[in-house]
Amino acid sequence: MTAAIRDITTRKKVEAHLLAEAALQQKIEELNRSNEELGHFAYIASHDLQEPLRMVASYTQLLSRRYKGRLDADADEFIAFAVDGATRMQRLIQDLLAYSRVGTKREALERISSEEALVQALLNLGATIADSGAVVTHDPLPVVLADETQLIQLFQNLIGNGIKYQGPGVPRVHIAAVPDGDTGWAFTVRDNGLGIDAQYFERIFGMFQRLHKREEFAGTGIGLAICKKIVERHGGNISVESTLGLGSTFRFAMAGMATS
Amino acid sequence: MNGGLRSLQVLLVEDSPGDVRLTQEAFREANVGIHLHVAVDGVEAMAFLRREAPHDSAPRPDFILLDLNLPRMDGREVLASIKADPELRRIPTVILTTSEDEADIVKSYQLQANCYLTKPVEFDAFEGLVRSINDFWLTRVKLPRQGDRR
Repeated sequence: MTAAIRDITTRKKVEAHLLAEAALQQKIEELNRSNEELGHFAYIASHDLQEPLRMVASYTQLLSRRYKGRLDADADEFIAFAVDGATRMQRLIQDLLAYSRVGTKREALERISSEEALVQALLNLGATIADSGAVVTHDPLPVVLADETQLIQLFQNLIGNGIKYQGPGVPRVHIAAVPDGDTGWAFTVRDNGLGIDAQYFERIFGMFQRLHKREEFAGTGIGLAICKKIVERHGGNISVESTLGLGSTFRFAMAGMATS
Repeated sequence: MNGGLRSLQVLLVEDSPGDVRLTQEAFREANVGIHLHVAVDGVEAMAFLRREAPHDSAPRPDFILLDLNLPRMDGREVLASIKADPELRRIPTVILTTSEDEADIVKSYQLQANCYLTKPVEFDAFEGLVRSINDFWLTRVKLPRQGDRR
């Protein structure tokens, strides 16, 4: 008798457990779907906003070019604000697009030379490096398992930041990689720039987070959020070590970045 | 009109009035003296090129700037029709679009576009692009003499 009751209780518990698990599974699926929709929405929205914005930006630029100094001082100022606003919005939309592409335009991870990815990133940064007189050096870098386009973007954002957030003097950036765990690699991108206060170490990887006024450094606050998303997509994590005035070292490890 | 000095006839196939005007202004800012004709969709572009009513007396363009996404008949179909026509195929046809889609780029070259350009976002860059088009396609390039206009 008691055995039968216990049996029923156990069965009920198992049933309840199974039900809860099914409900949880359904919630996870719903969440994944809504996340995917959100990513898709961000992509479509930022993509389709570009067209009308190109009109606003182009025509305010044309106004400024043709009529600057020919109306009055107020008009010049108004047009300048409109041009500036449109230009910043373009940057914002381009960065948002780049951010949502990390989720929507993903290629399979392949064995690639991270050194070649770095070389491509440096080519893309050619004008920035030339203008700033930056010296970018690197150790030999390994073959890794990665999405090449995204790895290039990752290097480009981190090195670009290292060159950008600088005081007077020659910007120096050094890239290195050391084995991490059994199969992975940990990369570091070290600069001699302004450095970051320890209280912001977490926050800087969030969306739209900026530590400087626009007049000091232009930017949208999306660059490092893109880096974080790329690294996490590769199953890794990204962090920063820094001392104010002495520069920063960004470190990212990717579990899946095994050689052979 | 029959010497080397006649101004070049350029056909712009573009449906957005904002883009049409912007292209005209960019040519003007770049100090390029050309005759810019506009067709607002693929059907009108083909009518212009084939001199069908109301374009019976249209000149034969020396150069075509073609947008891809157009109402009625889109740019890919226009390009295919131009390159399938023994008379029209020799006219350099350049794609000028906002699409950076790899599929559009490949498709355009398969259809024998003479080159593929994307519209820059900044006006300065757009003017620079128009200047390059002029320096290369309308100045350095030897274009085939367009035959009798009639």
